[in-house]
This record gives sequence, structure tokens and C-alpha cells, in this order.
Amino acid sequence: MAVSMPGGDVASRLSGYLDGLKNRHGLEEGEVEGNVVRVVVAPESVPQVLATAKAQLKVLHLSFITVVDWEGSFELTYELLDLRGGTVRVKTVIEGTEPVIGSVTSVYPTANWHEREAYDMFGVAFRGHPDLRRTYMWQDHFDHHPLLKSFDISTKRTFEGLR
Amino acid sequence: MLSEERRNETVALDGTASERLARPDIRSEFGLETMDMNMGPQHPAMHGLLRLILELDGETVMRCDPVMGYLHRSQEKIAENRMYPAVVPMTDRLDYFANIHNEHGYVLAVEDLLDAELPPRAEYIRVLMSELMRLASHIPSIGFLMLELGAFTPILYAFRERERIQNFLEAITGARMMFHYFRIGGVKADLPPGILEEISEYLDGLEGRFQTDTVDLVTGSEIYVARTKGVGRMTPEQALDIGVTGPPLRGTGVDFDIRRDYPYSVYNELDFDVVTDDAGDVAASYRVRIGEVWQSIRIIRQVIEKMPEGPVMADLGRRLRPKEGDGFGRVESPRGEYAVHVVSDGSDSAYRVHYRDPSFCSMQLLQEVVPGHYLPDIMPIMGMIDPVSGGWDK
Repeated sequence: MAVSMPGGDVASRLSGYLDGLKNRHGLEEGEVEGNVVRVVVAPESVPQVLATAKAQLKVLHLSFITVVDWEGSFELTYELLDLRGGTVRVKTVIEGTEPVIGSVTSVYPTANWHEREAYDMFGVAFRGHPDLRRTYMWQDHFDHHPLLKSFDISTKRTFEGLR
Repeated sequence: MLSEERRNETVALDGTASERLARPDIRSEFGLETMDMNMGPQHPAMHGLLRLILELDGETVMRCDPVMGYLHRSQEKIAENRMYPAVVPMTDRLDYFANIHNEHGYVLAVEDLLDAELPPRAEYIRVLMSELMRLASHIPSIGFLMLELGAFTPILYAFRERERIQNFLEAITGARMMFHYFRIGGVKADLPPGILEEISEYLDGLEGRFQTDTVDLVTGSEIYVARTKGVGRMTPEQALDIGVTGPPLRGTGVDFDIRRDYPYSVYNELDFDVVTDDAGDVAASYRVRIGEVWQSIRIIRQVIEKMPEGPVMADLGRRLRPKEGDGFGRVESPRGEYAVHVVSDGSDSAYRVHYRDPSFCSMQLLQEVVPGHYLPDIMPIMGMIDPVSGGWDK
């Protein structure tokens, strides 16, 4: 098998992940809770932190990216699995209502569609994404991002420029 | 039927798929042009509503671009506007071939927020239902592949088995497809009397019928070997990069199963093997599915043997108001890793619900793996992922 799986017990591996991320990126917030390493990083350093996790710490699988609209700021959660019981959960908060963040597609290619979905649903612009199109909504004539809290479900939407 | 050595002979296609494309210099010398073609959204092999924009060089696909959203119902927005228990029936509508796993992922996430302790009988019933559902999904998915390759018989046998499993699910839950059986804190109702003996009796017959009607029929079929061997081949690194999980990933040799590596419910008390294969093509993912059918039967037998007595529902109070924070649920659905992330703000409906659907993530391999294959190879590759429209479109 070409992909090497991490060995050893989960607890020591997770503290290794936490130390690795803290030392390389000078993180202040971070803890191990159960089988999860939780770190909070600044939005600028997300691609570098994930690159460290993939290249140095061998956390190979990006499970999903969740965006939460806290009305004034956006919280992004990157869930990484090492495939053997350990989870690395990287959180970041982008202030403002027009979120921009670096893309992680060059680190985890699977992020391609996850970021497209986040752009479609929340309007998060991922800098450096190779193909940032909408996944579900119409490509043209629809300027809304439906999972924003400001998108009221009882309001009727129109397609601008389309008769 | 093929002889044993013919069945095991090495793949005729050498090199990577993209090396089989016409060389650009030849194309310009002869003035060859590529052709754009739409496949779908209404196409019998598209597993629902999916449109593929294809760029063809002769019969070789050069670019494949899936367009989704034809079945988008914004389940995540709906979940934000309903109280916690009322989201469970909506999750049934996501991946409608693995409804139980969708419910399981969601209730696990909310129970994570509530720190709920479940009675052991509820956990065992959940595992029983999950594995029955896995049987009812894996067996037809083998039939669907053969149907797309032009063989009509296996789907009839597969649906005969699915029908009987659905009868059990109907007896337990009261519904045939949209079960709404799992509740936050347990399951809706106890098992009807005598059902475990009936399931056990059914499994005795299923083992023989699955061997003769599906394994022997499909594995020896010349159509099957010619159309699946070496098609959609991925390396393990490539599969992990694309984000493939479930049988296609295990078919490349990556030994990863949520049930064993991130155990939930009572899977850590049960004895089963993770089936892997190292060919990495369509045939490998089907060998994995066949192996998983045997493992599911083995798990169900253990569950029937160990089924404890007691209540099936924990008392969590009438009104669910989880603490603020994040809840995560992760289950191994028949298609791969299904994960749910629920964000609570302390009120009685979720602030944000995010579904990670395995069909959605695995379908990225259409962009990466299909270029270089012939046009008719798209059908077995779709059969390898076995995506469900309700899943990728949410």
C-alpha cells in the first residue's frame, strides 16, 4: 500500500499534531479534547497551517469545510482526519460582511468543490481557487447567497436582467 | 463464463488514461477538432439529475465538467428554520438510498451537543437498521452497474432482495423509504415481536442466493470483466486527494472505514473486517462491495445474538435546547463518509447545519479520472461512485 497510515496510540499522536502546529505557526489557542485537536488561527495563515498538517504531520484527508454566518463575521471550520481516529479541527474567523480567504485547493485538492459550495451559499471569495463557480445556484442572473442569515426565506426573489 | 486465468489476466490498457489522448501535434496537422456534448440532465445512466459537459476527441473524453443543482432543495436552510427533532425526517430526503445513515449522522451530531447517554438496546437497534440499509443499498448498486453495462438480469435479483429487506424495514419503522425512525436520544419504537428470528432466517437464505444470483453471475460475466477492469483506475494518493471515501477508496487499498477508525454507536463491540482491494478500478470497488455484503451479514448476526433488553429511548426532556457550540456526527454510509456539523446558539433550532455528503465529494473524480477514458466508460465510473441525486444536491 502506497499511503502510509499513522501508527501509535491516538493521544500521543494528537499531542504531536498540536505541538507541531503550535511551534511552526506560533499559535496561542489550541487544545486536545477527546480525539480532536482544536486550533484557532488567523484567516491569513489558514493555507500555511493546512500545508503543515498535510506535508509534515501527514493528516491526509480533508473531510469538509463549514461556513457559519454570525452576522458581521464568518466562522470557517476545516475538519481534517488522519484516518486512524484522530481529528484536527482548524477554525478561523473572518471579520466583515465580504469575506475573502486564501484557497487550500493546492494543499487538499478535494477542497475544490467544498470551496465552490461555500462561495455559492455564502459568497466567500477564495483567493487562488482555480475554478470558483457556483455549484447549485444559477450561474447568471442570480446575485444572492442563500445560506446567509440576511436571505429571508419568505421573500420572493427575482432574476435580475432576465425576463 | 470466463475461465479463471482469463479472469485474472492483467489489464490490457497500459499507462495512465490521459496518455491515450491524441497528441496535440497530430490534432493540428490534420485539422482535427474536438466536439462538445451534453450528457444529461435526463439520462438513464446518470443516477438522477446530473448534466455532464463533455469535450470529445473522437470517442475519447478530454474534459468532463459535472453541473449540479437540478435537485437542490436547500436542506441546510430548511434545517435552520425547524426545531431539532423536525429536521430528522428531512434528512431522509438527502441520500434516499441510505436514509437510515442520514438520520444516524444527524442524531449523532445533536446528541453530541446534548451529551446524551443512550440505552444499549437503542444503539443495537441502530446498528441493526444501519446494516440492513447497507445491504439494501449495496446489493442493488451491483445490479445498477450491470444494468448500465447492458445486462438486465442482475437488477431483478438485486431488487428482489431489496424488496424483502424493505419489508423488514417497513415492519420495524412503518414506512418503506422515508423512515423517520431514529430520534434524538434513541429510536421511535421497539422492534416488533419475532422480527429478529425472521431476519435471521432470511439471512440464511440470502447468503446462498447472493452467492449464486449476484457474485457468480456478475464476477464471471464477460461484459463485466471487459467493461470494468482497468477502468477508472486511481492511485491511493489520487483517491485521497480527490476526497473519495467508501468502497471506491477501499478499492485502491486505503484501509479506512469510519465504523472501525472513528467508532460510533456500538461498532467497537462488534467483530468485522474492513474489506480492501488494491486494483483501484471499477472492478475493485465492486469486489469491495461484495465483501461488505458478507461483513454486514456477519454484523447483523452478532447484533441479533447480543441484542440487550431494556428501553429504546433516553429521557432528554420535552424541549431540546442544546448548549451553545458545535456538534459533530460521522457515520460510514454505503457511499462513504457521511458527516454532519450542527452549530447551536442555545435556541431550540439549529443555527447552522452542514452535511458532508459522500456522493458530492466522490463525484469530483469525474473531473479528474474520466478524461482519457472512452465515452461509454463514464457509465461504469458512475457505477463505481454510485452517487445518489438527493445526496449530491442536498
